[in-house]
Amino acid sequence: MAAELALLEGTLGLRNGTKYGAQGERQIPVLQTNNGPGLTGLITIAAHLVKQAKKEQLLGSTAEEKAVVQQWLEYRVTRVDRCSSKEDTRTILKDLNTHLEDKVYLAGNSFTLADILMYYGLHHVMVDLTVQEKEKYLNVSRWFNHIQHYPGVRQQLSNVVFIKNRLYTNAH
Amino acid sequence: MRLQVAAGGPAALKVVAAAEFAAAPVRLCWSAPAEQPLSPLCSPWVPALQLDSGAVLFSPNAICQYLFLAGGQEPTDLTNQWLEWEATELQPVVAAALYAQLVHGKKGLEAAGHLGKLLAYIEQSLSGRGTAYLAGDTQSVADVVVWGALFPVLQDEASLSNELQALRTWFQTMTLSEACRKAANSVLMPKGLLEFKSYLQKQPPPCLAMERATSN
Repeated sequence: MAAELALLEGTLGLRNGTKYGAQGERQIPVLQTNNGPGLTGLITIAAHLVKQAKKEQLLGSTAEEKAVVQQWLEYRVTRVDRCSSKEDTRTILKDLNTHLEDKVYLAGNSFTLADILMYYGLHHVMVDLTVQEKEKYLNVSRWFNHIQHYPGVRQQLSNVVFIKNRLYTNAH
Repeated sequence: MRLQVAAGGPAALKVVAAAEFAAAPVRLCWSAPAEQPLSPLCSPWVPALQLDSGAVLFSPNAICQYLFLAGGQEPTDLTNQWLEWEATELQPVVAAALYAQLVHGKKGLEAAGHLGKLLAYIEQSLSGRGTAYLAGDTQSVADVVVWGALFPVLQDEASLSNELQALRTWFQTMTLSEACRKAANSVLMPKGLLEFKSYLQKQPPPCLAMERATSN
């Protein structure tokens, strides 16, 4: 997760090169700050970095958007990060596919921190999907491909290939 | 906006308390678990908030956050940290403790398991900062979310050891506040904790990461 925060710093255009600590067996990232006891947790530090980069719009503009962003960030650390079986992964992909059916981004029409962290969190899952699975979760694939090409987001992560023309016409 | 809450779902406490605290204009609807959820992503036992735009929030902490935001309280680094800690650390342990207590009939400390370490963390934060509330000198969404998770397992501060003085004072203040009392009365009546039993019995036994790690 600390590696992810380094990617995020790159995406946000911060050139901190911060060293993050890690806590407990889940290796929860810790950010030491000059004042006070520091910050703990992926979402907490990510939101802090966004504010530091003065890109607050990534946390949502309205109360509704802010809450929706918060919800998907929480979903990322409680559901996506706790996936322990193929079955769990399928549930996540199914959920997201339903949610993204009528949306460009997780929070609707605006690109937010939720898209960035969900993209990082799902990268290792999407890399392993077969062509048929990518077509089955078509909305997730469309969203993922969009985010990985969003300026500055992908950083050092590998590009996941999506085929433009569908191979399996009865994938649904 | 419409707040749909399943009677007997443990997250009901915090969202009802948050609605009271923020004095938000919500229409509270108690639902039967079998009822059609507001969105396909909502689990029947978890509260859901339908906003006037039609959007549905299905995460209890995000619902609490929204209610406070609508009341003009912006999140801070510290409230964010408490919400993340509650969702990732506290909730799984509380769920396991409630399960041990209500489904397996274990008593007090035996059921509390790993809860002690987490209570000590709250104690340290409160006494370290010297503030009355988790994120400062006034109540915030952090207090409601953490209180809502702890109330079913602690119920009254008498079960807390003497070393946890700051936690005890904070918990008591929260429990006695009008918003929390109203929430506890409407969610835990008439059967008290047994309201949660039918929910828990339908859940798979909670599996904590730490337990998984030691059994491997």
